[in-house]
Amino acid sequence: MKQITIISGKGGTGKTTIASNFIKLARDHIAVDSDVDAANLHILLDPKIKETKDFIGGAVAEVSDECTNCGECENLCRFEAISNSSSDIKIDPIRCEGCGVCEYVCPVDAIKLESNNQGYYYTSESSFCTLVHAKLNPGAENSGLLVTRVRNVAEDIANNQNKKAIIIDGAPGIGCPVISSLNGVDYAMIVTEPTLSGIGDFIKVFEVTKFFNIKTFACVNKYDINLNNTEKIYDFCLKNDIELIGKIPYDDKVSICLSNRKFIIDEPSSEAGKEIKKIWEKVKEYLYPN
Amino acid sequence: MILSVASGKGGTGKTTVAVNLALSVGFCQFMDYDVEAPNAAFFLKPDIKHIQKVEMKHPYFLKEVCNACGKCAEFCNFNAVAVAGDEVIFFPELCHGCGGCLLVCPEGAVREKDVEIGKIKKGFSKPGINFYMGDLKPGYMRTISVQAALDKFIEKDILIIIDCPPGTSCPMVFSVKDSDYCILVTEPTPYGLNDLLISIEVLKDMGIPYGVIINRDGIGNDEVENYCRKNNIKILLKIPNDMEVAKYYSRGESMLDYDISWKGKFENILKEIKKDVRK
Repeated sequence: MKQITIISGKGGTGKTTIASNFIKLARDHIAVDSDVDAANLHILLDPKIKETKDFIGGAVAEVSDECTNCGECENLCRFEAISNSSSDIKIDPIRCEGCGVCEYVCPVDAIKLESNNQGYYYTSESSFCTLVHAKLNPGAENSGLLVTRVRNVAEDIANNQNKKAIIIDGAPGIGCPVISSLNGVDYAMIVTEPTLSGIGDFIKVFEVTKFFNIKTFACVNKYDINLNNTEKIYDFCLKNDIELIGKIPYDDKVSICLSNRKFIIDEPSSEAGKEIKKIWEKVKEYLYPN
Repeated sequence: MILSVASGKGGTGKTTVAVNLALSVGFCQFMDYDVEAPNAAFFLKPDIKHIQKVEMKHPYFLKEVCNACGKCAEFCNFNAVAVAGDEVIFFPELCHGCGGCLLVCPEGAVREKDVEIGKIKKGFSKPGINFYMGDLKPGYMRTISVQAALDKFIEKDILIIIDCPPGTSCPMVFSVKDSDYCILVTEPTPYGLNDLLISIEVLKDMGIPYGVIINRDGIGNDEVENYCRKNNIKILLKIPNDMEVAKYYSRGESMLDYDISWKGKFENILKEIKKDVRK
């Protein structure tokens, strides 16, 4: 079984559009949405939820009345999450990372780590395949852990049902959810755009796939808005042994299709749709070797 | 006043709005909190004068002292330490640098070293913008640590514009936490609306006033606008979809470069916002 993650560095370059069209074109596969705090794959795939599970994420420290304001916890907290221990101790849940150092050092056992529900993850059926996705509670932590959960579920299903491929829609950036979505996959496809921001973020996210030694493809979306920059992306790919797998032209029909909940590959007159099909043919060679 | 620009969905135009607002106002402090993908510098072109490392502590284990009792692994809530046989294995990418393993080791076998996880860059942009950005080192997950290092530079009694990361999880919450007002930039598509709703929930929970800017107006449909009108959410501005603007953006040029009349529109937004700020 092969796995591919679609990432971008910069947000809004077209990850989800490309992923959802790939999912419609693929066979014997499972789909995963690993952008757990801004999940969008379900919008086009329109799946029916079959199973919902609680996500109990990392814990946050809470302090009780037994506190004597000795200040030990404040001294040792590396995240500046504890303040005012000399008078009225406060723990800032935004800064607290749930490491447990304060709980450990408290001489009167006034601090406890409390784990709460931080979201849900779902196994759903779409017309094309099983989709495993999640919803992190707004503002919650541990998106990386939730991505790992979602991927484990997808891998179990894929193994049990003898599926050939897992297609993972990634998150923007290079942080926890991105790293968790790349861990152990066979391929990464970076969707970029020929803007200075797009290039800057492409280079950063490529550093990550290189760090984890993952075979990387690149695809330039809206390549025709700046041909000079597209050229620069080509050069970078050549120098860094990244396979340039396609370039998609700017096409107004993409957002029109999306608003009508339609797939761009089903729009015969769309140049972008045609190009996505071509890219899929190349990706398919890797995902389904013989 | 601290004014943050956030979005939920990525690529809707946060940086475009933050940068053009800063250039229109002229005098402010600009902070790029999107440390995983910092892009404001492409447009503000700051003259970077200071670069400073952001570091965290990583443990290392003295083999000759360690007796593999496993207390460190048992303590670590992030699974960054494991004991296999008579050896401790450390997974640096999972470590939060809390120092717990050092604290619990009965043998005194744990030491710490500084590891670079990113940089803070400081500079000046014309006309009068004090520019700060965080830059997370690829391969590290310490987004929040780099943002926390940026927090230290926030000045008082000046307009602070914060360019936030996408999403609605901890890096976004950390970026908006001290804001007096947050601008949510969205696009008029089902994806834009879906993520806008989640961002609004976050801001409501935190008690931060907000308004919406619709970017690339004209694409997609009017679901976002209808939602805002129905729920009495202020639409601060609509930026029409324009291939020319996209081309300027691609070269790192601002909307003011394209059409100076945007300056007045962004200044007006600021006046509008001042009516609604927290406090």
